[in-house]
Amino acid sequence: MSRRVEQKAQARERIAAQLAAQQRAERRRRLLLAVGAVMVVVVIVGGLVAVRLAGGGKKTTTAPSGAADAQIMTALTSIPDSTFATVGTDGVQAAPSAITAPALTAGGRPKVLYIGAEFCPYCAAERWPVTVALSRFGTFSNLGTTHSSGNDVFPNTPTLSFHGATFTSQYLTFTGVETTTNEQVNGQYKPLDTPSPEDQKTFDTYNQPPYVKSGGSIPFVDLGGKFVSSGATYSPQVLAGKTQAQVADALKDPSSPIAKAVIASANVYTAAICGITNNQPAKVCSTDAVTRAAAKLGKS
Amino acid sequence: MSGTAQRSEKTATGLGWLPWTTLALSIAGVAVASYLTYEHFMAGSTLACPDTGVVNCVKVTTSEYSRLFGIPVALLGLAFFVGMTALSLPPVWRMSSPWPSRLRLAAVLVGVVFVCYLIWAELFRIDAICLWCTVVHALTLVLFALVLIRQALDPEGG
Repeated sequence: MSRRVEQKAQARERIAAQLAAQQRAERRRRLLLAVGAVMVVVVIVGGLVAVRLAGGGKKTTTAPSGAADAQIMTALTSIPDSTFATVGTDGVQAAPSAITAPALTAGGRPKVLYIGAEFCPYCAAERWPVTVALSRFGTFSNLGTTHSSGNDVFPNTPTLSFHGATFTSQYLTFTGVETTTNEQVNGQYKPLDTPSPEDQKTFDTYNQPPYVKSGGSIPFVDLGGKFVSSGATYSPQVLAGKTQAQVADALKDPSSPIAKAVIASANVYTAAICGITNNQPAKVCSTDAVTRAAAKLGKS
Repeated sequence: MSGTAQRSEKTATGLGWLPWTTLALSIAGVAVASYLTYEHFMAGSTLACPDTGVVNCVKVTTSEYSRLFGIPVALLGLAFFVGMTALSLPPVWRMSSPWPSRLRLAAVLVGVVFVCYLIWAELFRIDAICLWCTVVHALTLVLFALVLIRQALDPEGG
């Protein structure tokens, strides 16, 4: 009898020992799995760093530089009035401000002066609406394409370049100055265009408070001595990762974030330009979008 | 020892170092992610980080990869760490429900996949490293390891 009890107790102990061993094995298996998963992640991250250090897989995401092609030019110059009206001005964070100053003219016509630089991301953003607005009053030729510096904020923002471009219009003249390229030599961006003494004087005089909020910033735009703008009217972030062709293409869709920013800004620039061309041409300056945008122009 | 008995023992003797470490790392993550979120909306103007060369926080935080589906990734990181902080509070660790541990596990899995994506973007697309983002990545990887090991040691309680 007692031997049977002893055998049962031994059997229970054996089963308990087996169970405990199974639990330990299961716990060890789970721990190995967890440590294995952590090691896999460490290897993936280490592998990424190793490949990069070995110089592999690097891809430049910069938009191309060169002449603006016909597709871009057509997209910029064929925006219908309905798109300008639909977008309105809600997408702008700032607008040119009215100033009291002598008229800025060239050849007897009001002059729009832009001073910026190709490395500058805010200039990169601003060239799009300035070009769209001016294209409603005249014709650009030899517009370039480029991108802002890869080492500044909003790196490689795709844009146009006014360097070497010409603008013809019966209503106004335009001077675009790009003071540097987007390439650095010995820590300095390479010089490009030099402003004329008169344009430099305009920049030095009117790119200062009280005409603008903070002095010396680029881009600086003087519209006929009646309005000035300093800095970007919308965030360059909107253009991040796009090519110039994609930006131009996005302007066809009034609901796209790019159209909402660029065309809204173009509306306020158009309103300011109408303010210096005596509201000519009427087919541009009398549109609802432009008359509503005029209300958005600031006072310095 | 039954699960109930284990639970009673865990409550009586404390949680151990691992859950507390998870809580501390999550709170540190909230602090760094809050700073990055603030900087995102301020265009990185005051980031305490070099802005030239390989280490360039502003270049990273203003790149196209600083948003995912229009949402700033800094904000997604902040949401992750706030969630992890909530899930790492002592009363949540002590819950008998399996859901907190499942949520923790799911969160760190998503977090670590996202971190791998962001490291890839920094190294191969943006061509710059953001120091503050790297702190966030390291915190996420350590959280991933801790949560996984805790889950392995205590699958029911996580």
